[in-house]
Amino acid sequence: MGTRILAVEDDERIRTAVKMALEDEGWVVEEAESGEEALQAFARNPSDVVLIDIMLPGVDGFEVCRSIRRTSDVPIVMVTARADTHDVVAGLEAGADDYLTKPFAPKELSARIRALLRRVRTADPSVAHLKFGDLEIIPEEGVVLRDGKEVHLTKTEFRLLVELASSPGRVFSREVLLERVWGYGYFGDGRLVDVHIRRLRTKIEADPANPRHVVTVRGLGYKLQT
Amino acid sequence: MRLARSRTPRTLTKRARLGLRARLTLTYALGAALLSAVLSVITFGLTRENMLTQREQSAMTQALQNASTVSDGLDPGVADTTTIEKTILASLPNPEGGLPVLRYEGQWYPGNALKFSDASIPAALIERVDAGQPARMRTRVGGDPFLVVGVPIQPRGAQYYEAVPLREMQRTLEGLAISLLGASILTTIAGGLVGFWAARRVFRPLLDVGRAADAIAGGRLDTRLPTGSDPDLDRLAKPFNEMAQALQDRIERDARFASEVSHELRSPLMTLAATIEVLENTREELPERARTALDLLSADVDRFQQLVEDLLEISRFDVGAIKLHLEDVLVAELVIQAVSVLGNGGVPVRYDDDVSDVVVRVDKRRFGRVLANLLDNAEKYAGGATAVTIDRVGSVVRIGVEDEGSGVPEEEREIIFDRFSRGSESGNRSLDSGVGLGLALVDEHVRLHGGRVWVEDRADGRPGARFIVELPIVDLAPQTETDLGESEGSEDLEVSR
Repeated sequence: MGTRILAVEDDERIRTAVKMALEDEGWVVEEAESGEEALQAFARNPSDVVLIDIMLPGVDGFEVCRSIRRTSDVPIVMVTARADTHDVVAGLEAGADDYLTKPFAPKELSARIRALLRRVRTADPSVAHLKFGDLEIIPEEGVVLRDGKEVHLTKTEFRLLVELASSPGRVFSREVLLERVWGYGYFGDGRLVDVHIRRLRTKIEADPANPRHVVTVRGLGYKLQT
Repeated sequence: MRLARSRTPRTLTKRARLGLRARLTLTYALGAALLSAVLSVITFGLTRENMLTQREQSAMTQALQNASTVSDGLDPGVADTTTIEKTILASLPNPEGGLPVLRYEGQWYPGNALKFSDASIPAALIERVDAGQPARMRTRVGGDPFLVVGVPIQPRGAQYYEAVPLREMQRTLEGLAISLLGASILTTIAGGLVGFWAARRVFRPLLDVGRAADAIAGGRLDTRLPTGSDPDLDRLAKPFNEMAQALQDRIERDARFASEVSHELRSPLMTLAATIEVLENTREELPERARTALDLLSADVDRFQQLVEDLLEISRFDVGAIKLHLEDVLVAELVIQAVSVLGNGGVPVRYDDDVSDVVVRVDKRRFGRVLANLLDNAEKYAGGATAVTIDRVGSVVRIGVEDEGSGVPEEEREIIFDRFSRGSESGNRSLDSGVGLGLALVDEHVRLHGGRVWVEDRADGRPGARFIVELPIVDLAPQTETDLGESEGSEDLEVSR
């Protein structure tokens, strides 16, 4: 069975059209027409990827996103009406990994999903086991420990952290991180990086307001402090 | 801001030739001049009258005294010419420089013939003195003013005259006149200054109104005048603010409508975009006619989608809801990326070494749209851009998009940046897919970034247009000094224009 996508969309015509187009791309698509239905379906049989329209009647997209995040690190793609509202940041903060603006090309969505499903590169043996103060990263196993206790990161957060950890002390620009983690080019949305860094900090930093591990290099990007 | 463009604007009042401030200043100056002139004239007149009266009285007293002295000296026996001239007249006290003349037995005896003689005495005075009355009269001798007093010496049948020079007094009066004139001029100037100052004070709120109106015209629709500090000014500020509010409401309503329409269009567009893709996937199985139809459908859905996006973006400008995500980026990289990503990879980007470290602060994706629109524009109307140039000019950087089309005629260089204008020239333009929002968006975006955009002839003189986007260069040096904590080198800028 192929990769299963749960598509949450209240507009029936859009849902049907997107399902057809995604199936053409080789995905298995399950539909849900409301937030409630989506949560039930996900609880019954978690999909590999979730596609959520923010504007849902009843339980809205943000809430669906947050609910799924409580139990799962599944890649979530948010569909927003506009790219420049707070919706995007709010969606990312609710736990979405990426977003698309309506109307999008299903081929573009496929590309996004493929990027999110990419596996962490583990070819380099030097990054097999990394330790930074109280923080331990084991890329091979997909595990991050803080003070010896496991920290739950989403796939994207994990890949972001491993990317930074691949060259500790080196400054990564937003563009580089967008390209390596999300597969975006130069014009990718830097807020993806900013919000994910923020989320990452709340999980791995003792004091997220004064990060010691993932630090900001003003005007340049981010780096992992050695 | 296209309110009532079709109507001719109404002007409430005719404009005066002189400015209000000039008129106020002038009025104050004239008032001061008039007032000080009147005061000066009165002062001068009174002083003069006063001095003259005083002079006349003392001259009269002196003359009467002298007349009695002369009378005593005119003993019949002694009274020969020499005695009269040398003794009697010469010995008279004349503290004010009085010049005596005596008429005795029909003979004139001047005390100082050189300065004053009987010839200078007005006939009217002689007549009155002959009638037995002491009298006085002003006259001029050799250009100098004199007061002549005549006293009849009754018992001797003689008349005593005394001329008192008024020159000193006149000098004093002249001095006074000059002082008064000076004071009047100073008062006038002071009046003018007060008027200027008052006009400025009165005018300042009006200038504020002007500035506020300018700001509103410039798109900052939420500009308001402060109220509550001065009840008089509130009568101006309140209606102004109400007008601004009405204007803002109206523009926002229009823009919101456009925004809602665009939003509503997104859902059907989503379905269209997805179904077209499904159809494209089965393209090979479609008959020829259906394929052609699909191509047409696909192209126009793209165009429709672009139009909706542009409309939405422009309505955001109108309500001032644009949120820029500003980042400091290298301009050369930005342009190269924009040109390569946006499907125009074949266009060369040319720049000199001095540009390679130039940083601009832009919303990358919006700026990408700016270049994309310019390249699209060249594609549609001029067969594609031939080069993109980057030049550093002082504290700004200019990005030029050149083509080899027919260029843009002088008179259209402004209006092509208007919404839905496509240039009047050439029928083929109206046939193609331009929707006429692209350049308007370029203009809005560039202005939002603190730059400007215009079109000119190609620099090398060959036919074609050259669109130039000018952006301020960001000086990074002082910025990196002050770390602003969590701002992460980029900032969201809520732009309310």
